[in-house]
Amino acid sequence: MSRERVKKISDATEELLKRAKVDYRILDNEGCCGSVLLRTGFQEDALEIIKETFKNLKGEKVLVSCAGCYRTFKEDYPEVLGETLDVIHTSHLFLELIKQEKLRLSMDEKEVTYHDPCHMGRHMGEYETPRQIIRAHAKLVEMERNQEKARCCGAGGGVRSAFPELSSEIARMRMDDAKSTGAQSLVTCCPFCVHNLESVQEGYIKSSDTVAEDKQGSMNIMDLSQFLLERIKVEED
Amino acid sequence: MNDSSIKIMNKSFNILDKRRATLLQDEATIKLKERVKNIRENSVEHISPLLEKAQEKLQENGIEVILAKDAEVARQTIYQLVKEEDLVAKSKSNTAGEIQLTEYLESKEVKVLETDLGDRIVQFDASRPTHPIGPACHLDMGKISEIVSDRFQREVKAEPRAIMDSVKKDILEKIPQCKVGITGANSVAAEDGSLLMVHNEGNISLLTMLDLHIVLVGIDKLVPTLEDAVSVVKLETIYATGKTVPAYMNVVSSPSKTADIEQILLKDMYGAKKVVVIFLDNGRSKALKEKKECLWCIGCGACIVNCPVYTTLGPDFGYLRHLGGRGIVLSYFIDNDEVCYDSGLFKCTLCGLCTVECPMEIATNNMLEDLRSESVKKGIYPEKHGEIKENIKKRGSPFKPGT
Repeated sequence: MSRERVKKISDATEELLKRAKVDYRILDNEGCCGSVLLRTGFQEDALEIIKETFKNLKGEKVLVSCAGCYRTFKEDYPEVLGETLDVIHTSHLFLELIKQEKLRLSMDEKEVTYHDPCHMGRHMGEYETPRQIIRAHAKLVEMERNQEKARCCGAGGGVRSAFPELSSEIARMRMDDAKSTGAQSLVTCCPFCVHNLESVQEGYIKSSDTVAEDKQGSMNIMDLSQFLLERIKVEED
Repeated sequence: MNDSSIKIMNKSFNILDKRRATLLQDEATIKLKERVKNIRENSVEHISPLLEKAQEKLQENGIEVILAKDAEVARQTIYQLVKEEDLVAKSKSNTAGEIQLTEYLESKEVKVLETDLGDRIVQFDASRPTHPIGPACHLDMGKISEIVSDRFQREVKAEPRAIMDSVKKDILEKIPQCKVGITGANSVAAEDGSLLMVHNEGNISLLTMLDLHIVLVGIDKLVPTLEDAVSVVKLETIYATGKTVPAYMNVVSSPSKTADIEQILLKDMYGAKKVVVIFLDNGRSKALKEKKECLWCIGCGACIVNCPVYTTLGPDFGYLRHLGGRGIVLSYFIDNDEVCYDSGLFKCTLCGLCTVECPMEIATNNMLEDLRSESVKKGIYPEKHGEIKENIKKRGSPFKPGT
């Protein structure tokens, strides 16, 4: 999803990895984790893909930007294949790099709100890692519906592809939740959430990687990687 | 449902949600929740023996018991009991909604007097109920006054008491014409042979006084004892309304009787001369085998109040009076794959919030994911998902190149 639809996330992530001097590589044959197929009922097709992807990733330390991939690798692979992969989400790596001072960031008093992706939060119980990172570098203001009670962005379960209007309507409700915090920026850690929430912002240009931050009444929607890169660049200036 | 109805519904839901918030965190509530979860899980595990026990005990208590394997049998059974009547009185019942009882009886020239205020308004409006306990959540006062004024052919002010009084007066005038009261039951105590009904308006009390009291109830509502049943409905009330107890809990364990003269048993004192219970299966035995979790439900409606899809689509996301994702699961067992698809099988974002909200912690998203897989096997899925599947298989990505 990141690489093909929200490239600014994979770009920002790579930039951070380079700056922190992390040794990484991108697979030539990067496949699909199978999440989309599992959620939409294509069980048998999913299994084929999962077996193939597992073969390619076995023995590697896998870094993912996507909450859906993370849940699928961590939860579904052991269930479906009986095998585990060494997978971490970018939020975990970022926190580690900050602790080791491989990434140095400035603090900003600007208010930021955090949106819990369903696949990270409710499904995996990962609420704290991204919050810890944000709190250290900005003022975190919570939406009324947060963590376990967070409202879905509307993209999940194949709803965005099959029922785009429904999906957008839910995204609008989530943006209303976010806007009522008064924060200028929304940070999350799932490309599906970024993509769907951004798509309902005024002035949004499809297939564009530009952030609609200067549009009136709209929020700066960012993946955690973009948020961190922005804080690093401020530090450098 | 139109946008303004959805807005009004969500406003009602927000008020309800705020009212419940503190009570849900209360230690007593948390303890009760654990207790009821045990009761429900155990009861669902033992539906067959409970049903046998309930039949035996209810009959011992003088209540007639009929088993209905599906909606058609249940409708027919009830019609046979009321076919001589012009008008029957009814209370709010999701199970009656499931078999479309009111529509059926009216098509057979037996008029139905809905006695729950919200239900009566929805009946006048011919719209769909939006919450299991508050069916008229989607109508605002102005709209309700219009509906009621139109029905009574006189101006009823857009003021809550004026509306309530006008509907109440009409219902009270009509109840004496009724010999039959039809209700559901919120919980059934098998070992005691008792039926427990919950209400706030007092309407069920009136209905139990009519000559014949018909109780339509799903076999999933069985629990062992009356104490268990009271726990279940108490928790249901807390989650549905934000109050610890409802105004009324009626327990019916027999037709009306007295033994005040020399201990001689005389039937037919004030209340019903005859009580008939219809236990409805309608796919529940099938659900029990494949997705028993969906039967743990206590009917509080907590799952829909914050559901991102329900708060967008309203009752179009669900099956008849079984609203939201869990209703869609039921539709698969009560009806068939097509109906399940149309009820919104693929509209759930699988976010899992309903599981957090549900006092029984029913994992509806997992059930829907499994049912999608069954649906796909039969070739019933959104076209777009088929395209995405092909893309993934061809090039390892959901997206077409260059799009």
